[in-house]
Amino acid sequence: MSGATHTDALVVGAGPSGAVVAGELIRAGISVTILEQGDWVPADAFDGARRQWELTQLRKWHPNPNTRGRPEDYPVDVGHSDVNPLMFAGVGGAALIYGAHWMRFMPSDFRVRTLDAIAEDWPFTYDDLAPFYAYVEEAMGVSGQDGNPAYPDGAPTPLPALPIGKVGRKAAKGMNRLGWHWWPGSNAIPSRPWRALQPCVLRGTCGTGCSDGAKATPDRTHWPDAIKAGARLVTGARAAEVTLDARGRASGAIWIDRTGTRHEATADVVILCANGIGTPRILHMSDGGAGIANRSGMVGRRLMMHPFAAVMGTFDEDLESWVGPAGQILTSMQFYETDASRGFLRGAKWNCMPAGGPQSFRAGYGDGPLTDAWGLNLHENVRQKFGRSFEWGIVGEDLPDPENRVSLSDSLTDTDGLPAPAIHYRVSDNTRKMLDFHIARAVEAMEAAGAIETAITPLIRDCGWHLMGTAMMGDDPETSVVDAHGRCHDVPNLYVMDASTFPTSSGMNPTATIMAVAARSVLHLIEHRTDVERAA
Amino acid sequence: MSMLDTAQCERLVRFARLMVPGGQGMPSAEAIGLCGDPVDEVLAIDPTRMEGLGRILALPGEIGTMADIEALAQRDASGFADLGVVLANAYFMHADVRAAIGYPGQEARDSSAGLTNADHALLEPVITRGSIFRPTPA
Repeated sequence: MSGATHTDALVVGAGPSGAVVAGELIRAGISVTILEQGDWVPADAFDGARRQWELTQLRKWHPNPNTRGRPEDYPVDVGHSDVNPLMFAGVGGAALIYGAHWMRFMPSDFRVRTLDAIAEDWPFTYDDLAPFYAYVEEAMGVSGQDGNPAYPDGAPTPLPALPIGKVGRKAAKGMNRLGWHWWPGSNAIPSRPWRALQPCVLRGTCGTGCSDGAKATPDRTHWPDAIKAGARLVTGARAAEVTLDARGRASGAIWIDRTGTRHEATADVVILCANGIGTPRILHMSDGGAGIANRSGMVGRRLMMHPFAAVMGTFDEDLESWVGPAGQILTSMQFYETDASRGFLRGAKWNCMPAGGPQSFRAGYGDGPLTDAWGLNLHENVRQKFGRSFEWGIVGEDLPDPENRVSLSDSLTDTDGLPAPAIHYRVSDNTRKMLDFHIARAVEAMEAAGAIETAITPLIRDCGWHLMGTAMMGDDPETSVVDAHGRCHDVPNLYVMDASTFPTSSGMNPTATIMAVAARSVLHLIEHRTDVERAA
Repeated sequence: MSMLDTAQCERLVRFARLMVPGGQGMPSAEAIGLCGDPVDEVLAIDPTRMEGLGRILALPGEIGTMADIEALAQRDASGFADLGVVLANAYFMHADVRAAIGYPGQEARDSSAGLTNADHALLEPVITRGSIFRPTPA
C-alpha cells in the first residue's frame, strides 16, 4: 500500500452531492480530497451529434452498469430485484447521463407520516430546504416557468423555460380538455448561456450525455472551480472501505487505483457521496466486512428506486418528436397527492418526453412474433410512429420497506475483487396499484390529445435511476443511520450526504433535492466544524 | 476489407431480405449495400456485437421464411439480438434511409425562443384553476 495523504476532509464520489460538498468545503478553506472511481468524460465523447447515437446508447452509454460493463463500474447482483439500479461512474456521476429533470420535492413529501400515517416525516420541511433549492438552482442554470400552481412558491427558476414544441402543445391541449394540471418542464439545462454552460440546442440526447456542453453536470458546474480553489480530485480511485481509529472515529479510506494498487487517504472528516447503492456498500465493506455505522441495522435497508411506467401515444400528424429537450417537455402533478379513494397512498409525477429516433419504434427487442417487428411491418411501424409519438412517463412514489435492501453479494465481485452490491427489491402492492391508476389516466390524457394509438409499458426493469433511503436520516440512533445533517450516529466524524439519507422518496426526480440537502448538510458541518470529533 | 467474410455476408443478406425488405417507399437493406460499409461501421463502433452476430450467422438452417428466422432466433436469442442491433443500425444510420423517413438526425436547433404567446395562452386555464398542492403542516 502506498503512503497516506492527509486532508481536512475526504469525500467519496464526484457526482452531484460530492460536487456540492467539496465545493463548499474548499470555499470555506477546508482542504479536501475526493475519490472518484470513474474518469472525466469530455462532451465530445458523447455521441448525440453522431449518426451512431442510437447504437451506442444500447451499451457504451447504457445506464445499467451490468450492461455497460466498464472496468470502473462495479457490477450489481440483481438476482433478487424487480428493478435494475442505474448509475454512472465518472466525474459528474450519473448526472452525466441523466435527463436533467429538475423537480423540487413537494411540501407534502416532507410530511408523509403526518399526512398519510405511513413511512416517516423528514426532520425538516420544504420551507427549510427552499433556500438551498434556490442556491443550487443558480449553480445548475435551471430553466423553467415561474408560477407553477403545484408549488406554494411557484418553484421559481433562474432561467426561462425551454420551448415545448409541437409535442408539448399537443400534450397540453389534451390536458386542458380534461382540466388537468400541466406545466412547462423545469430542466437543469440552460435556455441561455449560463456560466460554463452552453444554451440548450434541443438535440434530445440528454439521457446519453450532452455533446454540446449544455446540460448542467457537476463536471461543468462545480468541479472546475473547486479544483481551481485547491480541491484534490483523484479519478480512477475506488473506495474499498472507511478506516477507523481505535476509538471508532473515521480516519480516512482505503482506495484502489486502476492498476489494483491500494492507497490510504486520511482525513479529519469522511463524507460519503457514493449514491444509494455505493454508500451502503462501502459501509458494509468497512471494518473488514463487519460493517460500520450500523447500530440501527438500517444500513442498506429501505432502498427506494422509483418504479417507472410509461404510456406512448401515436398521432396522425408530424410532431417532430425526436426534437428535445429530453429533458422533460411538460410535467403534471394532477394526481401527485394522496387520494385514499384510489386504493393506494401517495402519488406520481408525470413527465412528457419526446420519443427519440427511428429505432424507438423497432419492436425487435420485445416478446412478440418477429413478423410484428420486421419485414414490411418494420417500415409500417416507423411510418406510423416515427416523429408522431410521445410519452407520458410516470414516476411513482416508492414507499420505504426494510426488506428492500442493499447487501454484499457472495457470488459477484468487481474488477478489484471487492464484493458487488446485492439488491433485494420487490415492487410493492401500493406501487403496482399506483402505477395502474396513473397508466389509465395517462391513456386518457393521450386520447384527449387525439392519440390514434396508445402503448403501455407497465414497469420498465431498467428504471432504477433514483437510488434513495439506504442510510436514513433521523433523530433516533436505534432507527436511523445519520442525523438531520448527515452525521452518522455511530461514527461522529463520518457523514453521508447523498440520497441514501432520504427518509422517503417522493415521486420526483431527486437530483434537485440531493444537491439541496447536500448543501444544507455541508454548510452545517462547516459552521460547526470546531465541534467535530477527529480521529486520533 | 470487410469485417465479415463472404459466407457470413451471404448469410446476413438472407436474413436481411426477409427482415428489412424494400417497400412502402423504403429501400431494402440489401439495396443500401448492407454488407459493406454500413455493417462495417456498426461493428467498428460496437465490436462487442461481432461475437453474437458471428454465432447466429454460423447456425445451419434454411432462411427462406420468417418462420425459419424465428427458429434460428429461438436457438440463439442473444446472437439474434445482436444481429437485430447490427442490421437495424446499419440500416437507419444510412443517409438514404434517413432521407426516406424524413429524419435529419438529432440536429441542433435554437432554443432561445422559449415559450410562445400561444403556449402562454394554453397555460391560462391551468393558472386560473389555481393551486393544487396539498396543505402541509410545518
